[in-house]
Amino acid sequence: MRLLTHNMLSSNIKGVTNGFPLRIEVEKVVEKEVDLNMDFLRNMFAKIEWKALVEASRTMGYSELPDDAESSMLDSDEFLRKFHHALLELHLEEGALVCPETGRKFPVNKGIPNMLLHEDEV
Amino acid sequence: MRGGGVAVCTTTCEYSRLHACSGGLLSFPRTNPIIASKPQPLIGRNRSIPLFTPLRVSGSRGGGRPRMMTMNVAATDTLQKGIAEFYDESSGVWEDIWGDHMHHGFYEPGSDVSLSDHRAAQIRMIEESLRFASLSDDSVQKPRNIVDVGCGIGGSSRYLARKYGAKCNGITLSPVQAQRAQELAAAQGLDGKVSFQVADALNQPFPDGEFDLVWSMESGEHMPDKTKFVNELARVAAPGGRIIIVTWCHRDLSPSEESLRPEEKQLLKKICDAYYLPAWCSTADYVKLLQSLSLEDIKAADWSQYVAPFWPAVIKSALSWKGITSLFRTGWKTIRGALVMPLMIEGYKKGVIKFAIITCRKPAS
Repeated sequence: MRLLTHNMLSSNIKGVTNGFPLRIEVEKVVEKEVDLNMDFLRNMFAKIEWKALVEASRTMGYSELPDDAESSMLDSDEFLRKFHHALLELHLEEGALVCPETGRKFPVNKGIPNMLLHEDEV
Repeated sequence: MRGGGVAVCTTTCEYSRLHACSGGLLSFPRTNPIIASKPQPLIGRNRSIPLFTPLRVSGSRGGGRPRMMTMNVAATDTLQKGIAEFYDESSGVWEDIWGDHMHHGFYEPGSDVSLSDHRAAQIRMIEESLRFASLSDDSVQKPRNIVDVGCGIGGSSRYLARKYGAKCNGITLSPVQAQRAQELAAAQGLDGKVSFQVADALNQPFPDGEFDLVWSMESGEHMPDKTKFVNELARVAAPGGRIIIVTWCHRDLSPSEESLRPEEKQLLKKICDAYYLPAWCSTADYVKLLQSLSLEDIKAADWSQYVAPFWPAVIKSALSWKGITSLFRTGWKTIRGALVMPLMIEGYKKGVIKFAIITCRKPAS
């Protein structure tokens, strides 16, 4: 699971008011190289919850992202590379996503999060 | 839907037996081809429907609201596990013979098709669906963020991501399918754009208004709560975004009918048992649900005539040497699904089963 995906997943357990962002529990992180696509990054930047991305990337062991970001920073190659790396090249292979309100863990196995709710969470 | 109008089984019987309950409109979204691991349908659970509500069947078809069966939580759980297992078991075989699209092809009526034409027909199905929804290739208007609800092994997700240069999330109940979908994405260099999760279509793990294209290609038939299913599709659609539902429905009822005829229900029941389908609804029911959510530009069509060659082709492929040997390597669920295929053809011929497309747009503000 990439952080691009993490940035849009939320816990929708019954009763939870704000299930985003999910905390990350890391068991295994893998880095996989992906071609940088500037247009894609620019499009995504507008939609990304920046703080959630920074927090998540730090949990995954990458601390290069600035705390805050604005679109003008996309003109910098260095920023683009860091943004690209955090968003697309860090993979949570094994671990869990944790609901910020209930602490319930959604397992991530072989890179695939399982977001199915239990009977009592619906 | 206003008020009740739903009957819910209190026992944890096989979901299929729910359809034997008296009254209640049972609509079956189309059955999935057995061999085919179809896009993982997602079964949702009833959240707020009480365990037992007296059935109220709405009157005339014309003025009535959609009559939907919903399931209690335990039965839904059974259904959900059945679906996941069905697709976990049969995915590989389908992909082996049919490729990565687990949906019907779109064919010219009356045409003669060979097995090699089916892939093109499946792609045409995607293109015709986009066209029906007035989705443009215009670079300004094209979708950038797509959700594939009931994504199977990700055929549509990868196709749409490639076509539009968009990001796509696919959700499925089957971990096997999600895994395979991601593998195929990586192999095709789409790993950065397309991602898959095991999740429930009736409880999508996404925020409101996230996607400018909400895509449900032949997964609606697995949803035991059509209201919840459609609500979720609408919830995750972005303002101005489009929703495309391609699914199996039963025929619309006439104004004087309260339900399908007994022999029609009988036919659908056998199919739903094999394909892990809950109650079916009609195309008109979907339209009413979309209307109730104030969605705009609602269009619906019966495409049954354009898919007619599909089932005979699936049967033929099952009876081929490769098909039979593959079936033997799968399991009972897949085999049972294969045995029920002729019923799909029967359902079509009798006009009970309809291949439907329903599309709409979420208001811009």
